[in-house]
Amino acid sequence: MVTLDEIANAGLLQKPSGTVPKVLERSESQYKPLTSFNLGKDLQYQQQFADIYFLRLTKIKPAVEEIASVAWDGTIIGGETAKKVERVLDVRQGELCWVTGTVYMDMALKPNILEDVSKDRWISAPSVDRYYSEDGKDSVMLEDDSGRIQLVGDVLKHFFMVTGCIIAVMGTENANGEFDVIDVKFADLAPQPGRWELSKPPAPVPKPAKKGRRVKDEDEDVEMADSPSSKPGTKIAIVSGLEFSGVDTSYAMELNLLLEFLLGEALDPAAQKEMAQISRLIIAGNSIAAERKGFGESTGGDKKSGKKYGYDSSTYNPLPSQLLDGFLSELLPTIPITLLPGVLDPANASYPQQPIHAAMFPKSRSYVAMPGATEPGWLDTVTNPWEGEIEGWRVLGTGGQNLDDVFKYVDSDDRLGMMEAMCRWRCSAPTAPDTLWAYPFQDDEPFVMKECPHLYFVGCQPEFGTKVIQGPDGQMVRLIAVPSFSATRELVLVDSETLDVTRIKIAV
Amino acid sequence: MEVYSKFLAENVLAEDKVVTYRLLSCALHVHVNTAKQMLYDFHKTQNEKRAGAVHATYLIYGVKQHVELASASHNGGDGDVEMTSSMPDVDSVDDDVVPTFTLSIVAEEGLEDALAEYDEVSAIHVYSVGPRPTKDFALLADVATDVLSLGAQDDYNEHAPISNPRMHRRERQVASAKAKTTTAPTHVKPKQEPKQEPSRLFPVKPAPAPAPAKTVAEAQAVKPDVETPEKTSSSAPSKKPAPTLKRGGSTNSSIMQAFSKATTKVKKAETSQPATPSGDESSLQPMSDDGEDDTEIPQPRARVVSGRKSKTEREEELRRMMEEDDDGDEDEEEKAESLDEEPEEPEEEASAPEPTQDEPTEVATTSGDGRRRGKRRITKKKQIMDDQGYLVTIQEQGWESFSEDEAPVQPIASKPKTASSAPPAPAAKPKKSGPKGSQGSIMSFFSKK
Repeated sequence: MVTLDEIANAGLLQKPSGTVPKVLERSESQYKPLTSFNLGKDLQYQQQFADIYFLRLTKIKPAVEEIASVAWDGTIIGGETAKKVERVLDVRQGELCWVTGTVYMDMALKPNILEDVSKDRWISAPSVDRYYSEDGKDSVMLEDDSGRIQLVGDVLKHFFMVTGCIIAVMGTENANGEFDVIDVKFADLAPQPGRWELSKPPAPVPKPAKKGRRVKDEDEDVEMADSPSSKPGTKIAIVSGLEFSGVDTSYAMELNLLLEFLLGEALDPAAQKEMAQISRLIIAGNSIAAERKGFGESTGGDKKSGKKYGYDSSTYNPLPSQLLDGFLSELLPTIPITLLPGVLDPANASYPQQPIHAAMFPKSRSYVAMPGATEPGWLDTVTNPWEGEIEGWRVLGTGGQNLDDVFKYVDSDDRLGMMEAMCRWRCSAPTAPDTLWAYPFQDDEPFVMKECPHLYFVGCQPEFGTKVIQGPDGQMVRLIAVPSFSATRELVLVDSETLDVTRIKIAV
Repeated sequence: MEVYSKFLAENVLAEDKVVTYRLLSCALHVHVNTAKQMLYDFHKTQNEKRAGAVHATYLIYGVKQHVELASASHNGGDGDVEMTSSMPDVDSVDDDVVPTFTLSIVAEEGLEDALAEYDEVSAIHVYSVGPRPTKDFALLADVATDVLSLGAQDDYNEHAPISNPRMHRRERQVASAKAKTTTAPTHVKPKQEPKQEPSRLFPVKPAPAPAPAKTVAEAQAVKPDVETPEKTSSSAPSKKPAPTLKRGGSTNSSIMQAFSKATTKVKKAETSQPATPSGDESSLQPMSDDGEDDTEIPQPRARVVSGRKSKTEREEELRRMMEEDDDGDEDEEEKAESLDEEPEEPEEEASAPEPTQDEPTEVATTSGDGRRRGKRRITKKKQIMDDQGYLVTIQEQGWESFSEDEAPVQPIASKPKTASSAPPAPAAKPKKSGPKGSQGSIMSFFSKK
């Protein structure tokens, strides 16, 4: 509760004093993007998708088996000892055993490519809100390169299950040929690299990894970080879903305030000092709004204009990308930006999305790195998902499609839980390529988390959420669901020393 | 009366506008914080004179009372029992409430209520003043757009409260064919080394870095002080305007030609110029008697072609512009240059081996009725059987006549292709076209090539 009297004569509510405020200098953060998700130039789309599943299983299976054997070796249930079975097909009826494989969800509502092909449908079906159905007809299968077995058992309901995740199950095959599951194991968090593994810390060596993370005090007074000598943690701003639009101006003012906030133009000197701590902005997808145009409208227009070659101003509205470009070019002189594409952005639709081309930004593109440059650009347009190291922390971020797709499999609203599950499955996009469009990888499966990130953020989510999860070897991961700015008017600040999260709401 | 009071009085009271602190800072070149104080002072003094004369909006930043926040930040805290079986010691380290700051903009009238919602206000200032209560904050967004355009014009960034000395941007690459005419400007441009210059010295849109979208003419306009192209470009068109009056359709190409000559001269000066195709070693062509048409031919680039499409008013304007530019022309030099240009020509036109390119060059004349006729060079594919019985596809250059009616399909894409090399054989062809093209007969339209 603040009253008018309390704020009277606050810093800026008085006559100009005539002194020129000094210019603040924005803090720096060490930044090293990785190219884990960059596709080569010579893309082939001839190959099959099966290799992705094979590679994923090969990569994750050892970890799952290790955990499972620790947990289950020597387990005796009903006088029978559980023993490991190499392949799904080797499961014998009535024998207590455990086996590792890939989950396949058989769901009536799930888009099915085989169905599309058999019915001669050549356009993809409209996307649905969810894949699961309430009638209980959905079934869970476990498969590997040998075969497939249906999983039953109440224990399955306690876990998130999506197509593509690798699990180990213990149980017996019943008379119906189904596998009655008693327990389930995952790979759990991958080994976590230490801090500053890829980049070098600035001169004064900061506290070693892990210990730098303190349990944060409730009312940490971030804006009072006014002692310049002791270097307070810089902030990383993450925002997603800016959705610059050519038609919808309902949040134009908020975008504007966001710009002023990040530029440090708004607010008073104390707060501006705090803003100067924001050393990097990450835009996690959906910077450009979807065109909300009916089908009839567009086709009608086409007929009228008749044959038109090249640029047709009646069917293309350049305003959104111009607005985005303007926004970026205002910010770039003072803050470096990492730009991930999202589902609405002008990038390829299939995962991993490749960087938005610099040609989209006539004003800002001089900040983009030269092709072939080794140093990351000041405006770094990156892939989605994207991996990198900021201030020594390994960061994994996506534009949200992976989580949105997992969300459709599960009857739950716990998006953070799903993010956690992905980390524990060691797979950042398990549902690719089944329901999440993906490039048919042949030699590598980049979605497997070989190394556990310190910070995992997912953009374009309906609401904000964050939590810290821990792994068996002391790994700690900060999960952040970054809300869509156009819907929530929120951005997230992450402290680069403690990975603590601050949330900024912009209300008009 | 201080400057800002006057400015605000003019804009708010007289012109009925809303002024934000950014607009004020931008217009008067003052620091944003000073601008905020100016707004406050203006608001105070005006309302002392006459209550309700101006209305302000305030920007508040602080911590709101935790009412609805708790639920949102907790949404993951309790639903994750699923995973705990494998990780029994997962604790909820972070289930405490995430510190949330709220930035809100409120009208003067609602200030008290808005403040009541806050637990703590860490910053507050006047955001804008306007002649009447602000109901729709979208209006403020419009003001912001004004700021953007104002900022684009001048050195607005000098007043940015936060600078970043590490900011770096890349130098514009000298893109080969495209940037031909802008080569000189690129050279004059100061080296933009990161760290050497504080970012404030580099506004968002510095003039010396010509945007790629700029047309050549614009680029020239931006850099009037660049010496080399300026001198030659002004001399070149001096000869042109007279002929272009006769041949209205090709006016623009003559302008482009002027620039191309400039480049040629630059090339003479320093042969290492990467932008200029190294066409010197290709065979020297005999100069044709019709110099005018010759010099036109080496301009098959899209810009020329698109210029041809434009209406006569624009041509007039351009011509006037060029005529303004030129004074004290050196005809000798120009002639020498047109000689120089010859070797470049085969490079240009022959360098597009794609059979699809139907208009590498063309020669046009304008008849009295404003119609344009002429010939254009096309590459035809021809399939013949050689003595061993194999089918061989060869590409042949040929001429096709056209008139204005058949709207020339300008392949814009053909521009970058000029980089590739090609047989110099057809190079001599365009010479003959000069005289022929000047007198296009209707029959040539029907004649089969």
